[in-house]
Amino acid sequence: MLAAPGCYSGFDAEANGGGPGGSAGTDSSGDGSDGDGSDGDGSDSDDPGGPSGAELPAPAARVARLTHTQWENTVQDLLYLDAPTGFSDAFRADPSNAGYLFDNSAAALEVDQALWGGYQRAAVDTAQLAVTTPAILEAILPVDGGDDAARADAFVRDFGLRAFRRPLEESEVSTYTGLFTGAAELFDDTEGFDAGVRLVIETMLQSPHFLYRIERSTEVEDDVIALDDYEVAQRLSYFVLNSMPDDELFDVAAEGTLRQPDVLEDQARRLLADPRAKEVVESFHDAIFDTESILGAAPLPAVYPDAPDNLGELAYDEFHTFIDRVMVDEKGGVHELFNSNVTYANADLAALYGVDGVSGEEFERIELDPSERRGVLTQIGFLAANATGAQPDPIHRGAFISERLTCSELPPPPDDIPPIPSVEGLTNRQAIEELTEQPGSNCAGCHSVFINPLGFPFENYDSTGALRTMDEGLPVDTATTVILDNESHEISGALELADLLAASPSVHACYAKHWVEYASGRPEVEQDHALVERLATASLDGNASMEDTLVEIIKSTPFTYRSATELEAE
Amino acid sequence: MNRNRKVSRRFVLRGLGGAAVALPVLESLAPKGATAGGTSTPPFAIFLRQANGAAVAQNTKVGNEPERFWPASTGALTPDSLQGRALDELTDFRDNLLVVGNVNMENYNFADGHARGAFQCLTAQPAAVPGAGGSSEAGGESLDHRIGAELNADGRESMFLYAGSAGGWLGGACISHRGSANRRAPLHDPVLAYQQMMGIDSDQFATLIARQRSINDLVKSEMDTLLGRPELSTQDRMRLELHQQSIRDLENGLSCDLSKDQEAALDGLAAGHASNNGDEVLAAVRAHMDVAALAVACGYTRSVAIQVGNGNDGSTRYRNLETGEEMENFHFLSHRRLSHGGDGEIISDSDVLHHYVDRQFAMAFRHLLERLSEYVMPDGQTLLDAGLSCWFNDLGSGPGHSFRNLPNIIAGSAGGFLRQGEFIQLGGDGTNHARFLNTLGSAAGLRDANGDLISDFGDPAQDRTPLPEMMA
Repeated sequence: MLAAPGCYSGFDAEANGGGPGGSAGTDSSGDGSDGDGSDGDGSDSDDPGGPSGAELPAPAARVARLTHTQWENTVQDLLYLDAPTGFSDAFRADPSNAGYLFDNSAAALEVDQALWGGYQRAAVDTAQLAVTTPAILEAILPVDGGDDAARADAFVRDFGLRAFRRPLEESEVSTYTGLFTGAAELFDDTEGFDAGVRLVIETMLQSPHFLYRIERSTEVEDDVIALDDYEVAQRLSYFVLNSMPDDELFDVAAEGTLRQPDVLEDQARRLLADPRAKEVVESFHDAIFDTESILGAAPLPAVYPDAPDNLGELAYDEFHTFIDRVMVDEKGGVHELFNSNVTYANADLAALYGVDGVSGEEFERIELDPSERRGVLTQIGFLAANATGAQPDPIHRGAFISERLTCSELPPPPDDIPPIPSVEGLTNRQAIEELTEQPGSNCAGCHSVFINPLGFPFENYDSTGALRTMDEGLPVDTATTVILDNESHEISGALELADLLAASPSVHACYAKHWVEYASGRPEVEQDHALVERLATASLDGNASMEDTLVEIIKSTPFTYRSATELEAE
Repeated sequence: MNRNRKVSRRFVLRGLGGAAVALPVLESLAPKGATAGGTSTPPFAIFLRQANGAAVAQNTKVGNEPERFWPASTGALTPDSLQGRALDELTDFRDNLLVVGNVNMENYNFADGHARGAFQCLTAQPAAVPGAGGSSEAGGESLDHRIGAELNADGRESMFLYAGSAGGWLGGACISHRGSANRRAPLHDPVLAYQQMMGIDSDQFATLIARQRSINDLVKSEMDTLLGRPELSTQDRMRLELHQQSIRDLENGLSCDLSKDQEAALDGLAAGHASNNGDEVLAAVRAHMDVAALAVACGYTRSVAIQVGNGNDGSTRYRNLETGEEMENFHFLSHRRLSHGGDGEIISDSDVLHHYVDRQFAMAFRHLLERLSEYVMPDGQTLLDAGLSCWFNDLGSGPGHSFRNLPNIIAGSAGGFLRQGEFIQLGGDGTNHARFLNTLGSAAGLRDANGDLISDFGDPAQDRTPLPEMMA
């Protein structure tokens, strides 16, 4: 990301290449831990990113540990279960990874002693569950033809393929079938063939080939390494489903056709239509929109006596329903995210929106008055999450838009923030201006130019997200001048800001950048820029849907190839 | 949302009951590594971190606040010197305490007071990337980790325990680090921490151990083969080597079992480990302390770090000791305002309410000291005196986010290394935090290549020589 350069020292957009909205896809900070450190412009022949404009893969981890969600989903699919086992609940949580929004940072996911113990126990429990559940055994075992050795061989090959997401080598088949010998002596409560099955499952679930998504291809051609079909299948399924490939995807990989663009696109769209893909899309937007803070929304009952007690939960559900229906089912994109007048509400939320005709707890599709609301930023979730108990919080609203939606980096606030002046007789906006926009102050550089103008347009939405026209007995003022894409825009309020964001190249680039990061399991690096720019252009000018964006990522060279740089790095 | 999960504890606790954890004298649980003569117990360190500074004498928006934390006078700790201060909760342990005033951190550029405190408190290092504020990472290894890596059997990492809601400011757990920008995952649920120490459920033990041995052999062979692949990057290799080390550590683990009743009690205390309710969080802290005491008693580790609340403990609502009701979240109280920033209404009497939080941390710390006192080691020492337990705050005071005069309350002499029964004020007004941590590291048993006390921990730009003022 690019820091908003004018903060604390006066803004000079011309000299500094822009403030918020001038960054995504164009910066060269390349702080990804596996980047090559090059800060060139892409035309340097030593740059593994290749010629300017080329979409080439950046160096990436070869062994990426499963996230806990991936472990849980994978075990569920491995055993053909209808529901997760819940065994991963006992894993110790992964640490936070500052500066990266998602939970799949390949560089940060490690196996320490605590997690290794957790994996052991979960493997024990999973294997026990498998051999004590006839339906699972029926699903994972070959038909009993009377030859235990042949059956063990077939089981190890089939289950091993699915557990390791690739065909086993013959030496591995030999090792794992060898576990059937004497397995019964290692269990008090399982005998015969089932003991071998149990031991194989227990062992495979502790194997690094299960616990890590490993990419073993090494053949360099034209400075890149083509992933094999199984590796592409693995990338695809973990990106779209956060789980192992399903049987059809394995079949296509086995046929050796998955790298063909049309086949890959067909598989990508098939998986994106899978209900499990919605969980991934939700999880992605949870991270971007920090839905944990929506859950924590808590307007003060003394100020908002009519607000529902569970406003945060309702708004959280509203947000997820919106994402599911508008972005997935209806194949929405960035335009819909910021401009849609549709949302989903129960009676409590509908009342806050001033929409009649909704009753009960069930969420219904409603259309919001286009003169009042437009897109996700005028929904209750964003508004209530970025508010104090009593007043809107334009600082956090503005900072959120700047950082998460335009991918501009704001420097952190100074340490000892002076107290806000007395708010008596001042509107919320006036009080914030008084605090943060004193000419020449440390605060003004950022707040007056970058942060507050993106937050003040929402001053007509209170801490519950409901409309308001007055504040402290004075009319609310939502007009500001926003700097976006290196240009100043005078706007009257949130609706015009929504239009502006939906038409902003940097907002489209930012959204695409987040998806590329998520797909890559690492922060953006310079080599990503060409792909991000192409995706952003298709989104902005071609109204590409989110689904189209994901499919283009999947079909891209960076997704289906590895960089050769890593091999040279050793 | 991700798929619905049901919490599975079925392999953890099958015991019934609910009697309070009452640990006996455990002659059989002598720590590993006792000296050749077998007469002394090797020292250890347990760190307890509180956020947001203490309610000390200061001038804030609620006025001139009186001193409510530090003892009234330096020198010997007495009931009178502790009276009315948060530390009077520890009066019964005053002879085992060393209260150290005027410990000052360096004002590194973290661009956030909480980041500066939390990432520096056990590292004495500047930020990995200066000026990153809430996106900061620590610039080096933390002391708890170094003690574990150097003094534990096979280099087992220190035990890092966390209580409070997950996530939040600075990403939640943020005080234990393997190195620069390499923070560690904590054990959040005390039951899970106990499980890790046990290695595996005792009910499954006999056959499982035999089975796991053969599984480990196979998995280790796979790991060796994988690590042998030349195309792996250094980063890939480091992650796999940590995994490999973890397999070895757990293989060598001891069986430190609680009785079923004790397990059940632990489970009860642990239930609220991710809560925002202060009582539940502090109950989980006590459970962590029970596990920590057991862990050092049976030689599982010589280093434990317990973190309470995220970077600014911004969601825990502790109890008002006067009314019994939940107060505003601790961060608000420490700001004296209804805000995580500089805005928001002033919370009346928030200095007193902050003091109530300090007092509850003192009570929790007392629980640790009581627990450690219950273990009598083969040499006749109590575990309390064999090691050191340090309750510290990563800020000096709340509203000012001060990096000076950090609260540090040490209990236990670490086998006679540290002074006891006193409140001392370190001299000077410069940075001495690195010296302080080198002193604690030395007290816990760290030595340099010459067998001398360490003076190499933390930022090389700082004076890192141990502080004789703290030594007996």
